[in-house]
Amino acid sequence: MTTPSNEQVAAQEQLHDQFNDVWGNPRGWKSLTIVNHTTVGIRFMLTGLGFFLFGGLLAMLVRTQLAIPGYDFLEPDVYNQVFTMHGTVMMFLFAVPMMEGLAVYLIPKMLGARDLVFPRLSALGYWCYLFGGLILCASLLLGIAPKAGWFMYTPLSSAVHTPGPNSDFWLIGITFVEISAVSAGVELVVSILRTRAEGMSLNKMPIYAWYILVMAMMIVVGFPPLILGSILLELERAVGLPFFEVARGGDPILWQHLFWLFGHPEVYIIFLPAAGIVSTLLPVFCQRPLVGYRWVVLAILTTGFISFGLWVHHMFTVGIPQLAQAFFSAASMLVAIPTGIQVFAWIATLWVGRPLYHVPMLWLVGFLVIFVCGGLTGVMLALVPFDWQVHDTHFVVAHMHYVLVGGMFFPLLAGIYYWLPHFSGRMPSVRLGKWGFWLVFIGFNLTFLIMHWTGLMGMPRRIYTYQSGLGWDLPNLISSIGSFIMAIGIATVLLDIVLHFRFGQKATKNPWNADTLEWSTHLPPSPYNFVSLPPVRTRHPLWEVPDLEERIDRGEFALTVIDHGRRETWGIEPLTGKVREIIHLPGNSWWPFIASLFIAFTCLGLLSKFYWVALVASIVAVLVLLRWSWENGAHPLAAPDARVQPGEPPLHSRTCDGPGLWGMGVTLLANGALYLALLFGWFYLWTVSPNWLVPDDPVIDQRLLLASAVLLSVVVLWQRPVLRRLRQGQGEPAALITCFVGTALLGALHAGLLLWAILAGDLAPRATAHDAVIVVMLVYSLAHGALATILSALQALRVHYGYVCKRTPYEPLVVEQFWQYSLAVMWITYCSVVLFPPTFGGV
Amino acid sequence: MAREVAILWWAMCAFATLVLIVVTALWVHAMRRKGPQMDAARARQLTLRWLVGGGLLLPTLSVLLLLLFGIPIGHRMLPLPLAGEQPMRIEVIGHQWWWEVRYPDSGVVTANQLHLPVGRPVDLDVTSADVIHSFWVPRLGGKIDMIPGRDNRIRLQADQAGTFRGQCSEFCGTQHTHMILDVQAHDEEDFVNWLQARREQQISALPGPAGEVFDAHCGQCHRVAGVSEGNRAPDLSDVGARSMLGAGVLSNEPGALLRWLHEHQQLKPGNAMPLHDDLDPDHLSTIADWLETLRP
Repeated sequence: MTTPSNEQVAAQEQLHDQFNDVWGNPRGWKSLTIVNHTTVGIRFMLTGLGFFLFGGLLAMLVRTQLAIPGYDFLEPDVYNQVFTMHGTVMMFLFAVPMMEGLAVYLIPKMLGARDLVFPRLSALGYWCYLFGGLILCASLLLGIAPKAGWFMYTPLSSAVHTPGPNSDFWLIGITFVEISAVSAGVELVVSILRTRAEGMSLNKMPIYAWYILVMAMMIVVGFPPLILGSILLELERAVGLPFFEVARGGDPILWQHLFWLFGHPEVYIIFLPAAGIVSTLLPVFCQRPLVGYRWVVLAILTTGFISFGLWVHHMFTVGIPQLAQAFFSAASMLVAIPTGIQVFAWIATLWVGRPLYHVPMLWLVGFLVIFVCGGLTGVMLALVPFDWQVHDTHFVVAHMHYVLVGGMFFPLLAGIYYWLPHFSGRMPSVRLGKWGFWLVFIGFNLTFLIMHWTGLMGMPRRIYTYQSGLGWDLPNLISSIGSFIMAIGIATVLLDIVLHFRFGQKATKNPWNADTLEWSTHLPPSPYNFVSLPPVRTRHPLWEVPDLEERIDRGEFALTVIDHGRRETWGIEPLTGKVREIIHLPGNSWWPFIASLFIAFTCLGLLSKFYWVALVASIVAVLVLLRWSWENGAHPLAAPDARVQPGEPPLHSRTCDGPGLWGMGVTLLANGALYLALLFGWFYLWTVSPNWLVPDDPVIDQRLLLASAVLLSVVVLWQRPVLRRLRQGQGEPAALITCFVGTALLGALHAGLLLWAILAGDLAPRATAHDAVIVVMLVYSLAHGALATILSALQALRVHYGYVCKRTPYEPLVVEQFWQYSLAVMWITYCSVVLFPPTFGGV
Repeated sequence: MAREVAILWWAMCAFATLVLIVVTALWVHAMRRKGPQMDAARARQLTLRWLVGGGLLLPTLSVLLLLLFGIPIGHRMLPLPLAGEQPMRIEVIGHQWWWEVRYPDSGVVTANQLHLPVGRPVDLDVTSADVIHSFWVPRLGGKIDMIPGRDNRIRLQADQAGTFRGQCSEFCGTQHTHMILDVQAHDEEDFVNWLQARREQQISALPGPAGEVFDAHCGQCHRVAGVSEGNRAPDLSDVGARSMLGAGVLSNEPGALLRWLHEHQQLKPGNAMPLHDDLDPDHLSTIADWLETLRP
């Protein structure tokens, strides 16, 4: 390698300055507009840390209260709020956002991209997470926190048995936070599939990206059932629609199904990215590729699929049929196989490699011991007769902490130590790091190992005190002592991390000699990650091209021109990694912050029951989101200059295959999961509800419904040929405007008919769950019809402004997907509401 | 039946400990191993062996073994129809935060205690009057949820006389902690005698102003056989014979009942019984004395 001359260095610095002009982060108030994934990822992680400390403090309160029998440190009602919030905060405000934050930070860098594909969505997700989390935690300080358990089983959480806003904080706050989880999920899926380095085919992807891809898909499909459940329960609480109330035809067990349909995949949503950290770190410390890459990828995919078929194992004591229990029992145990494959792939990697000892390795060993232990008790719990005995005892508390702390927290700490030099450019202290690890490891096992025994001796969960003389005194005291040791350990780790920013040794380039691309950025990285985008021909680019970092920095690779002022990254073919287009990314924007602020006002309006505030705020939020969508595609703010260098592919907004199309597709997948959960509820209540009430006469004018569905079909059929020609580069503005205005008018008519059908029908949604579900299904279709109408009208306007034309055909294709989805939903609703009931003896 | 589960637990525990030790030992050994650098072909062969042996065969065989032993045990615990002697039927209804126990064949009702005959299967039909509770007597068997609008059944059998502790095991609100059930298993003869005594129990109402206070304040919610017909709170007909008060808050010693009447909101905050501050302490004392005499 030759030393670069002075001119070369100067030219290089000038290039970086130009990139900073386009990509740089503003300071002061304007830092609220930042959309860059590095900043957003760090914000996610720091906020997650804050909520972790809050949740940990709650855990300390719980352990203090249970340290001795009959202790009155916390009042029962406060205790119930504290343990409910501990679970809620750790699951929703720490584990998932922390893992997503790390992925948001790492994924583009690992894949050789400059940013995530929807940067403004990253920012929106962050603000929703922050505001939602703050609203939720504020409730505890006000003494009106949720207190029906993090699982919110109804009827305990219902308006009858928990009056006051406690449960509302959970239902509304968590739904708000989930906007963030799902939006990050959509974004990660599309980014991983569409914005990798040139030549990085799926089988050359870093293993971490596989884990995150599956995690993100699971979020996209797994969170919507809970969002739906929360909406239904909140409707029951606030307006009296009796989805879960037996007397009016509902069923409380439906809530449990919806909750665990989400709740079980959630465990793997937390575990998979952590396992991804293990699979990333071990090979680096062994200086050998991960053994059995293909096996591990298959194991990840299998885990993702199986995890959606296990939820009933949380409900073995509900009294469901025996055959179903045997099925779910066997299915639950099956998860041991893909997990076993990963564990043995890790052992084999260690076996063939030459492991180096660093602090992250300690955390990995700790992970293995604790997680395997948790996995084994998990297999035991999947056995129905054993579960009947220990379900809802401290045995389960112990098991769950072994899985979650072992399976998530330990790898996370390994990962944080590993990537610390990346965040700060400095190395942590080995001595403090070791102290921290051993204190946490010993404290954790002291707390939770004995808790298995406490549970076997019959101590149920969620009791705020216990009598002396049952044999529970000593184990509880030991657990409490252990928890304080663990807290001291965590404080030591934090101290180490804080001190390293000041006193840590400067990190050398690629300090661990890792193989993945994130270590070829500057430490800490520039907002654009790479000044030139390198091609990738191998799974271990930094091992096989040792001077890659210098060559990237010198601008030897692609997309180094920046004077057009666009933020750019490659858009690739998902399988092969061949470059297809240049994706131009939006810059900093106020819209995400403002939109999330108004969503927060909506939530506060709902919580305080000032419904007009909620209504106004939600309308403003929708307007802000539509305004945001205006600065897209060929809008001058989105792509100031559409010219590209000779030989380069076109901008994505000038093609028929931009990332927005994929974003819409994945979002509709999430939306479809929500709708399917609703449909599941409908058929579930028909077949299982103990007191299902069916009206004698049809409650809705079926002809109106049919007419409305037919109109929607006409819209989609009318658009098809027009958009097909557009895709082929034909179609004059006048014809496009006619089509979009026409479809908008028909869409409005469709929505109007649907609204008429709802209002003119004989529906009594407060009287029966039957009518309540129908109302929700129809309102769901109505909302889709109305939104599609607005989007088409906006498209007409954009044709008028010249943002959409035959050279920029991209946006109407995105909107078309939404119309098609609405159509499918409308007909399924029609069949389920009109055609299905007579076959079941209804009307 | 609980014994079978205990054996199952110890077997699983031993097996799991073995797996944990072996996997950890393998991991640590793999980390510390100092062998010659392996060539690619050898490494490939070795890793394949690891993945197939440890990743596929070990979990598959363990799971099969577990299901082979576990499913029959679970099957035996189910309340399936019996050929010979029919199980006795008892209804248990969960309330926030107490247990209502009914013997449908004899019409006897009690609360927070469950009397069982030894040596024959008992089918408990459980449900709830408000939120979801869960019925569990750890030493007699597994648990079953008590769900409003549904009837669940669990079969228990006590093999020897004695008292057992039951506790609600589904979180059911503020006083989930204090929802304890006192289970007493009697020899067949003792059980029949108890049931007989309860059925033939004659209670005469409390005379005088204290009796009026009882009718106006207590009897609206509590039932005392032949005296009051309240149905929102525990039946008190045999309250004097119970081992505990407040579903596990106080041991039912002499004087405990009066203390409960005065301090129940401190002892069990949030329970549904109103405060008695406005009642004459002498009347309360008389009522408490009378309640203590209520036993079969």
